[in-house]
Amino acid sequence: MGEPVLRVNNLSKTYMQGKIPVHALSNVSFEVEKGEFLSIVGPSGSGKSTLLSLIGLLDKPTSGSVLIDGIEVTTVREGEVPKLRREKIGFVFQHFNLIPTLTALENVDIAMRFARVPKSERKKRAVELLTHMGLAERMNHKPSELSGGEQQRTAIARALSNHPAIILADEPTGEVDTKTRDMIVRLLKDLSEEGHTILVVTHDTAVAQQTGRIIKMRDGGIESDNKVIS
Amino acid sequence: MNNFDLILRNVTQRKMRTGLTVFGIALGIFAIMVMGGMSEYFSRHADRGLDLMSDKIYIVPESGFFGGGLVDSMVSKVRRIPGVFDAYGLLWMPYDMESLGMFGAFVVGIAPEKQELTLKEIKITQGRLLVPGDRYRAVVGSNVARQYGLNVGDELEIKSKKVQRASTITTARNFTVVGAMEFTSTDFDYMIIIPLDLAKKFYDLDDQLTYIWAVPEEGVDAEDLSRRIELGVENIKTFSPQELRKQSEQMLMVMNLITISAAVLAAIIGGLSVMNTMLMSVSERTREFGLMKAMGAEVRDILLLTMGESALMGILGGVIGIAGGSIFIYFMNDYLATMGTVLFAVTYRLMAVSLVFATFLGTVSGILPAYRAARMRPMEAMKYG
Repeated sequence: MGEPVLRVNNLSKTYMQGKIPVHALSNVSFEVEKGEFLSIVGPSGSGKSTLLSLIGLLDKPTSGSVLIDGIEVTTVREGEVPKLRREKIGFVFQHFNLIPTLTALENVDIAMRFARVPKSERKKRAVELLTHMGLAERMNHKPSELSGGEQQRTAIARALSNHPAIILADEPTGEVDTKTRDMIVRLLKDLSEEGHTILVVTHDTAVAQQTGRIIKMRDGGIESDNKVIS
Repeated sequence: MNNFDLILRNVTQRKMRTGLTVFGIALGIFAIMVMGGMSEYFSRHADRGLDLMSDKIYIVPESGFFGGGLVDSMVSKVRRIPGVFDAYGLLWMPYDMESLGMFGAFVVGIAPEKQELTLKEIKITQGRLLVPGDRYRAVVGSNVARQYGLNVGDELEIKSKKVQRASTITTARNFTVVGAMEFTSTDFDYMIIIPLDLAKKFYDLDDQLTYIWAVPEEGVDAEDLSRRIELGVENIKTFSPQELRKQSEQMLMVMNLITISAAVLAAIIGGLSVMNTMLMSVSERTREFGLMKAMGAEVRDILLLTMGESALMGILGGVIGIAGGSIFIYFMNDYLATMGTVLFAVTYRLMAVSLVFATFLGTVSGILPAYRAARMRPMEAMKYG
């Protein structure tokens, strides 16, 4: 087995609520291999979203380290963070978080702009990705003209646009109906089979059951880490 | 990264807000154009006027312009001062005898043979200059020609007033227009030039003059000559070209300060409206900026996007303000010209300054909002809204 795509070592995060320290995450360690499709589940306040934000470089840990593709991302300089976010991480959010004034195509394009991808290449890749997501006919529509499922597929296309090492999905099915949920999970599963590494944070056990591995969290720590036998 | 399309998109998508902000800037720039146009006109007016006088020494009565007291004999005295090439007197009367004589057309009596010395390179667009022997003939400035619709051959009625004991006798005579001057943006545009001898008789002023011009000989220092004339001839005051320029510059500076500061104030108010708009826009788009940062946008990307937006609004406002100001000035000058005056000048310098100022205003007003957007932490921004 090669170098894991993601390595989390003794990761801890303590917030201060006034003068009271809140331990959102305590000594969490695990590894993720390339092409893995895993879910992190747990009740509210278990630390799963904190874990995701630390892996995604959206927040700084109190202690511990995160290595993506062998690079320790938790110690890089502030100025290097945007580059790592662009190159190593693709985000999919619960609220889709598309830019309302841009079309689906432009929403995918914008992520590549920040990575300084040339215009012609951006357009080609955005069309390819949206077509792959089944949105060939919808790519010139704005988010307000797209269904929840279409918006989330656009967000997934955007997350894939810069060939990230890992896709972090925070409750990607939290705002869609069950039919759309199944379609999104199937899509993520297909992507992992194509070699993409996908980490999903979810409340939904039906979603977790579709992934290859489930990490259960409780009180800021890992309660269990099991492979799913399908 | 070329994000102009994104900037344009944001500006055009929020039409009402953009429209109002751009309108605010445009109003400020309009004010700069109009006030600045006035300043430009006056400075051009003064500059050109001074250029036309730059080779002469200006002599007025010691008691002041309106005090009277210059007579023909003084011209001869001035002419005798070593270093003086030539000296000649002029009579300067308001065309409208009821007016104060500060604005509007003037009747200027000049000896025909001294016209070229006075008018220098000013071209005659119609007809000819006065010639010795001309009597009730006149050469008119462009504003006078325009105001009264005069062409060569037309008659212009000029009135003079004489006070005799308790009554005032008004004499009116028709003068035939023999020539019209080009527009010079100087006092010459307001002149009705008639022969000096006739003017003295017509206004019943015997040998009086309003002022005297002294032309120095080549190579003679005008400053020095000016002092020598003042010492050599009694009851006069002289102004060398440098002194004239200095006085004119001081007057212009005060005027420019008043007009420009009023205009800049208006433009700053426009700038504040851009800042307000951008701050609102940034706070509305908090999640969007957080998302961009989560996607790997650099601080400079966000700065460029937000400041680009405010700069674009500044440029738009500038262009509209410049266009509006220019159109206003064009029609205003047209209207004023029918009343024999011009008040504004649109120059490339004024347009360039207005556009640079509008762009600067837009960009600077965007700094604070842009900084706020760029410093946003993605986690907090994403939770927002």
